[in-house]
Amino acid sequence: MEATTRHEDPAYSTAAIIEFCHFARTNGLSAGVQQTLSAVEASAAIGVADRQAIACALRAVLTSSKEEWDLFDRLFEIFWNGARSETGPPSGETSDARFSVNKPNPSSRALMTRSSGETSSTDGEGKAVSGASAQQRLQKVDLSEASHNDLFALEQICLRLFRKMALRLSRRLKIRNFADRVDMRRTIRRSVPHGGDPVVLAFQGRKPRKHRLVIFLDISGSMNSYSLFLVRFAYALQKYFPQTHTFLFSTDVVEITGMLRTRQLPEALRKLSQCATGWAGGTKIGESLRSFNRQYGRKLISRNTTFIILSDGWDTGEPATLAAELCIISRRIAKLIWLNPLMGLKDYKPITRGMSAALPYVDVFAAAHNLESLLALERYL
Amino acid sequence: MPVSPTLPPATPIKDVDSLRLRFEELGYVTDRALATAVYLLIKLQKPLLIEGHAGLGKTEVAKVLATLLGAPLIRLQCYEGLDISSAVYEWNYQKQLLAIKIQERTQQSVEEKEKHIFSKEFLLERPLLQSILAEDVSPVLLIDEIDRADEAFEAFLLELLSDFQITVPEMGTIKAKHIPYVILTSNRIRELSDALKRRCFYHWIDYPSLEKEFKIVRARLPGVDPNLGMQVVRFVQNARQLDLTKPPGVSETLDCVHSVMSLGKPRLDVQTAEETLGCVAKSMEDSAKLRATGLEKLLT
Repeated sequence: MEATTRHEDPAYSTAAIIEFCHFARTNGLSAGVQQTLSAVEASAAIGVADRQAIACALRAVLTSSKEEWDLFDRLFEIFWNGARSETGPPSGETSDARFSVNKPNPSSRALMTRSSGETSSTDGEGKAVSGASAQQRLQKVDLSEASHNDLFALEQICLRLFRKMALRLSRRLKIRNFADRVDMRRTIRRSVPHGGDPVVLAFQGRKPRKHRLVIFLDISGSMNSYSLFLVRFAYALQKYFPQTHTFLFSTDVVEITGMLRTRQLPEALRKLSQCATGWAGGTKIGESLRSFNRQYGRKLISRNTTFIILSDGWDTGEPATLAAELCIISRRIAKLIWLNPLMGLKDYKPITRGMSAALPYVDVFAAAHNLESLLALERYL
Repeated sequence: MPVSPTLPPATPIKDVDSLRLRFEELGYVTDRALATAVYLLIKLQKPLLIEGHAGLGKTEVAKVLATLLGAPLIRLQCYEGLDISSAVYEWNYQKQLLAIKIQERTQQSVEEKEKHIFSKEFLLERPLLQSILAEDVSPVLLIDEIDRADEAFEAFLLELLSDFQITVPEMGTIKAKHIPYVILTSNRIRELSDALKRRCFYHWIDYPSLEKEFKIVRARLPGVDPNLGMQVVRFVQNARQLDLTKPPGVSETLDCVHSVMSLGKPRLDVQTAEETLGCVAKSMEDSAKLRATGLEKLLT
């Protein structure tokens, strides 16, 4: 590394660049130590110390997605500008406040209390539900009526049963696609001892097609008693179906796939409580689907996608919007599943405006009020 | 190997600005950010990942770079289900079978026979292996639409991109004599793994500004009437403001200018725009949306 080429301008010295890398890392860029090294190399390679050149070079090195690309300019501006106009050496601390993480808001805190309640009950009341009959009972309990203790037990059962379900599904795929093509490479190899006659054929099966799941979870007020559990359901699904993407919606949509991708559930819930907004708010299913289509549609919707909507269908938006967006989605995916917790009620009929607008596009309309009904999902995957 | 012998000798590139000039000489209008990224790619020999919407000239960067460096361009088009045998290498099975037959009467042992049929003579080189085996210059390796390949293939690429070597079990590890200049492109159909991104420089290509797009039209279609060019560029720029499912890229602009010229029309009026609407809108919904907004309005 020849850092000597740039000694004209101490503003872009190696130390300053390293400090900027550190600043960028604490403010949302994912660049690691390797990138810091690259950044120093790159700035040396560029040679000239004019500001725009440095910005271009550092951006190429430190960013790795469109979001980071957009964020970079602001970070660069804050770091070098703040340093030039105010205090002497550029320092990250002063601007940190503008980029700090949002404090959890009151409504999302509800999620946290519930989850911490469960973790504390782990040792004490874990015994309360044991044995097959308790499990059977729990599977039928309506989620809105489940007590805190039950909820914890439910979570455990849920994770276990989903693991089995995922295993069953993957096994099914493998057997069906057994040996549909001769593997030339291994066949030739095995033919050498037979003088070149392919006596022993080697086969190769097709790789199982990966199905993608998109979970679209309603967290509006009317779903309140269910949504807290359904998040856990989404977590379990995501854990065992790697190609799962999870979204929360009420009046707008937010992706939580990344937050659920942790090894421990409480950790996932903690992250979630720090970010998600709109818990227990109003519902605009159509609008939410539209912004989903616009932002994620191209990336996530394809012929091997199964789209699961978890909602009670109480929609304050225009039913026409809902129908139009569902039409777009349903045309391009494998299957549209709508799970409605209200289906558990004896005399429920899907006659709300939103629900009846949506029904023509839905392939599977099923209940989601207890664990049993959620496990029945296996039939449709 | 597709090495064309008539390539001009490569002159060394001094700095970012001269690189940018060279790109423009070859008809590719760049900005400083892209020129810097390509410059770093050349200097530090680290792959460059270019992301952006379709039709904004991602692939073109690699083609121009190859011409500029006088290096052969090796292209790997990715798709779902792309596997090692079509991306890296494959044994020539027919030839192997024949060779086994011919060897039948010789006194060679099984080991010798096996060694023979798994020698380089029977190896079909696919793009990635080709890029490693280049004999005299570093080639430009374009891995196009990497987001279409599956994760397993992406993981395989990691070895190649960090060590520039490929392992063929029957032959051993082959290391690159000349490290290829690697350009990866992605349409963001899916998110790429962090491990891959960490190994690359990154550039995001956005839709160009009015001036830049006009410059591109002039550079790519030198025969075009400037007024017509400007009209089409403005039309496409306006269309991009609408909420289309597939916003038109620069290649659509060029298509549109080209079609209007081929139709022999001196300028883009409402009727011509209607006739060439297929160049800009790529689905029924989008065409309907453009018409609903009013073509006259979009032309101004």
